Amino acid sequence: MTKQVTLTIDGQQVAVSEGTLIVNAAKQIGIDIPVFCYHPKMEPVGMCRQCLVEVGRPVVDRATGQVVMEDGKPKIQFGAKLETACTTPVSDGMVVLTASEKAKANQREILEFLLTSHPLDCPVCDKGGECPLQNLTLAHGAPASRFIYDEKQHADKRVPLGDLIWLDRERCIQCARCIRFQDEIAGESVLAFYQRGRATDIITNSEPGFDSIFSGNTTDICPVGALTTADFRFGARPWEMKAAASICSQCPVGCNVTLNTRREAKSGGKVVLKRVMPRQNEAVNEIWICDKGRFAHHFTENEHRLATPLARKDGKLALVSWDKALGLVAGKLADAKGEAVVLASGRLSNEDLFNLKQLADGLGGEALLYTQMGGGELTTAYGVPAGTNFAEMGIGTTILVVASDLYNEAPIWYLRLKQAAERGATLILANARETKLEKYSQFVVRYSYGDEAETICGLAKKAHVGEAITSAENLVVLYGSDGLGLDGSSALAAACAELVKSRAGKPNNGLIGVWPRANDQGAWELGFKPVADLKAVFQKANVVYIAGADPFGDNPELTSRIPHHASRIPQHASRSTHPAPFIIVQELFLTETAKLADVILPAQAVTEREGSFTSGERRAQRFYPAVPARGQSRADFVITAQIAAEFGLELEGRFAARVMDKMAATVKTFAGISYRELAETTEQWPIVGRGDLYYGGTTYENKQGLGVILALSPSPTGRGARGEGKPLRPDEDHWLAVPVTRLYDLGITVATSALLKARTGGAHILLHPDSAQKLGLAAGEQVELNGNRLEVRLDPTVPVMVALVPRSMGVPIAGPMVAKIKAA
Amino acid sequence: MLAEKYPEEVKKILEKYPPEQKRSAVMPLLYLAQRDGGYITKEAMKDIAAMLEIAPTEVASIIGFYTLFLDEEAGKYRMQVCTDLPCALRGADKFLEELCGNLGVKVGETTSDGLVTVEAVMCLAGCDKAPMFQMQSSEGLEYHENQTVESAMGLIEEIRRKEQFSQQG
Repeated sequence: MTKQVTLTIDGQQVAVSEGTLIVNAAKQIGIDIPVFCYHPKMEPVGMCRQCLVEVGRPVVDRATGQVVMEDGKPKIQFGAKLETACTTPVSDGMVVLTASEKAKANQREILEFLLTSHPLDCPVCDKGGECPLQNLTLAHGAPASRFIYDEKQHADKRVPLGDLIWLDRERCIQCARCIRFQDEIAGESVLAFYQRGRATDIITNSEPGFDSIFSGNTTDICPVGALTTADFRFGARPWEMKAAASICSQCPVGCNVTLNTRREAKSGGKVVLKRVMPRQNEAVNEIWICDKGRFAHHFTENEHRLATPLARKDGKLALVSWDKALGLVAGKLADAKGEAVVLASGRLSNEDLFNLKQLADGLGGEALLYTQMGGGELTTAYGVPAGTNFAEMGIGTTILVVASDLYNEAPIWYLRLKQAAERGATLILANARETKLEKYSQFVVRYSYGDEAETICGLAKKAHVGEAITSAENLVVLYGSDGLGLDGSSALAAACAELVKSRAGKPNNGLIGVWPRANDQGAWELGFKPVADLKAVFQKANVVYIAGADPFGDNPELTSRIPHHASRIPQHASRSTHPAPFIIVQELFLTETAKLADVILPAQAVTEREGSFTSGERRAQRFYPAVPARGQSRADFVITAQIAAEFGLELEGRFAARVMDKMAATVKTFAGISYRELAETTEQWPIVGRGDLYYGGTTYENKQGLGVILALSPSPTGRGARGEGKPLRPDEDHWLAVPVTRLYDLGITVATSALLKARTGGAHILLHPDSAQKLGLAAGEQVELNGNRLEVRLDPTVPVMVALVPRSMGVPIAGPMVAKIKAA
Repeated sequence: MLAEKYPEEVKKILEKYPPEQKRSAVMPLLYLAQRDGGYITKEAMKDIAAMLEIAPTEVASIIGFYTLFLDEEAGKYRMQVCTDLPCALRGADKFLEELCGNLGVKVGETTSDGLVTVEAVMCLAGCDKAPMFQMQSSEGLEYHENQTVESAMGLIEEIRRKEQFSQQG
C-alpha cells in the first residue's frame, strides 16, 4: 500500500495516498473545487486556473529539520500566491483553503474572464442544463460582468469537425480536454489548437475530419457546448429527458450505457430514444463508449420494424393475430418433436436463449448457435474469474491478443489494453496482418493465415515471447476470428486454452473470446452448440425456429440449397425430394430470412425490454426498458414461453427476473445469480454523475448494477474442434479470401443509422497494393470474387495474394476460402 | 514531395535529430516547405507529418502557433506590423492604419500588384523601437524599426522597382 498523507482541507482532516492531487483529495471528502481543464482520467495541465486555492505548509526549521510549533500547533506558512489544486500533490500537514476570500475572488474572476468572450447562448445551447460553465458560474461567478458586451469576440458557430461532431468556436473555453482525450486516451491525435490567445481554435486535419472511433466522448467531457454530436444536436433539452440503464448490444465488451428518452410531438407523441450516453463501470468501460455504441441506436425507431405477427397464406405473408400465430407455430413444433431445430444468435439475451434452449430440450430437438466463431466451451472453463479487472492489469501481467483486430471488433478493449500496456503490462499481438494495437505492444508475432493454432501451440517455447507468457504473474489471452471461420477459431481457442489452463480460477488470468455479438458468450454458457453446416440443418429438420439471426441474408447462396424455399424464388428450381422445413422467424426486421419464413413473430428491441447479456469476459449485466415496445412486438423470452405453453411446456414468460432465477437454479455457471445481485453497485472512483458534471463530464453514475462475472465450469462440456486438413494457401492463380470484422459494417444497426453511412461505404475487399497491381487494378476499381462485384481498397498491411473480405458487408464469407479474383 | 525535391537538405535536417525523436525536425522542415512555396500547403503538411510519423493535425497546430509560419497564399512580401500594447503606445496602430490607407488595402490584404501583404502580428520583441515591422519573403526576414509611413512607403517603392527590374531581367 502506498504511503498515506494527512492534510486539512477547509478544516476537515483527510488521509489520502501519497501523490494524490489536492483536487482529488477534496473530492473524496465531498469538497468540490471548481475545474474546467482538469479531468480525473487525464494528466493535469493547470491551464484554466479555475481551481486556484490557498495552500499552506508546515514551517520546517532548517537547522533541526523539525516542524516549528506555535501555540502547540504546527506553524503554517501560506504561499504569497494561490496554487492550482489540479496540479499540486498533497503533502503531510498541508492546509488547503478552497473557500477563503482570496480563493473565492479568484474563482469569481476566472469565470468573469471566461465569460468575456462566451456567447451566453444557453437558451439555445445543447449543453444548457448540464453545462459545467453554467453550473460553476451560478455557484461561484459574479452576478454581473464588468466587461462591455459589445466587445465580445464572435466566431463561427457551425463548424463540422467531421460528420459526427460539430464545433461551436464561440463557446469553446480552450480547456483542451478534447485534444488531450484524443492524445492520451484514444491515442489518435486528430485534434489540436491552432493560433494563440483569443484566436485559439480547435482544428482537425485528419481525413475524414475528426477521424476517431471514440470522438463522441469528447462531447461528454467538453465543459461547455462547444462540441456537440451531429446525432443529438438540437435534439432535446437535457432536463426533458428520462434516463434508463442499458447495456450496449454492439459487441462483446458490454459497455454500460444510459439511454435518454423523450416523449415528443415531433415523433407523433411517442416516447423516443434521443441519445446513448456512457454509464460508469470502471471494470468494463470506465466512463467511455465508442461511436458505434453511441450513434448506431436508430434501429429501435426504424419505420421498417416488424409490428405484427405474419403467416404465409397462399404463398404470401399476411397479418395474423398472436393467438393464431402462436397456435400455428406450437402445433408445428409439437408435431416435429426431435426434428425441430432452434437456431439463435448472440444478439438475444440470456433469458431469451435460456427459454429457447428449454423449448428445444422439451421437444428433444437441437439448440444451435448461429456463429462463425467457436471455442465458447473453453472460455466457460478457462475464462477470467470474478475479481478480474482490466484496470488492475499492469506490470507483471502479460496480455496476448490472437487473431483479433480489437480496434474494430471491441473498441473499448482496445483502450483497456492500450492503458494496461502504458501501465507496464506486456502486450503480445499475434496476427497475420498488422493491427492498430501493435503500436503499444512489446512483441508482435506474425504468422500466415491458416497457421493460427499451430503458431500459438509453439508460442510458449519461443525465446522472449515464450518467457513473457510462461513467467508472467498474470496471463490473459484474448482470441478472435480475424481471418477465421468456425473450425479455425475453435482450433485456435483450444491452443489458447492450453496457455491458461494451469492458471484456471486465478483473477486476472484466463481466456476471453472476442465474439462477434454481444451475448455469444451467454449462448455458450446456456448450452447452445455452434452449427457448422447450415445447409444440412435446413435439409434435415422439419421445423426450424430462427431467432435473432439472418442466415439467408448473410449467405444468399443458402436459398438455392433449400428445396422448398428455392421454389419461392423461381430462378432456383430444385430437384430435391426432401420436404422443406417449416420456418419460424423471430425478428425485428423483415430480413432475407424472414422473407422465406412461414411464420414471422415480431420481437422487441433491447431498448424496449428487460434482460441481461453475458459479456466476453463473462460478466452478466442487466439492461432495462427505455422506450415502449413497437406495435405488438413481444420480448423473445415471452414469445418462446407462450409457444411452449401452447403444447404444455411450462416456461417463465412474464418476468425476466424469474427466468434468471430458473437459470440460477439449473445452469451451473449462473448458480446463485439473481437480478438483485446484478443490480448491486459499489462506490467507484472517480466520482461522476449528475452533481459532478464539471468533474467527470456528462457520463452517468452507475446506480443500476455493475454486473457479476460468472463462475467457471471447471470441466469443459466439450472440446474445441480441431481444424482438419491442411491450412488453405494461395497459389499462382488462387487467392486466399479471409473474413475480417469492421466496426462500421452493413449490419442492421449501422445500416439504419444514417450518420454512420459515410464511414461505412459499400461492399469492398482489401488487397495489398502489389496484389492489386498484379490484377491491374487501382484503388476504387471493381473486382469479381465468386460472382460478387466489389470495390477494391488498398491496404499495405494485407499479405500478398490474400484478400480481406469484411463480414456483413454484402459478401457471404463464413471462413477462409480459396477464391478466384479478377478485374470486373 | 520535399524529400524528393530537396533530398540533401531534408537528409541534413533529419540527421540532426535522433531517429526516435525525429518529430523535432518539424520546424526546420516547415521552413523548408515555406521557402519552397511561399507558404505551407496542405500537401506539404501531410508530407511532413508522414516523414516524421506524427499526425497532420499536429503539424497544422505548430503552424498555427507560430506567426512566422504561413498556411495561406499571400503576397510575395509579408509586412508584419506589431500592434501589441507597448508598440501601440508608440503609435503602431495609427502607423498601420495610415500605411493601409496609403496602400489602399485593409489589414490582412494584399496590394493590387500582388507584392505586399500587410498583417498585424503579436510581439516581435522590438517594443522600444516601434512602430516596427518585419518583412518576410523568400529572401528571409528583415526587421525595420523606428518607422514612419513615409519610410515604409519608400521601402515598398524600392521593392516594386526591384521586382520590376528582375522581371525585365
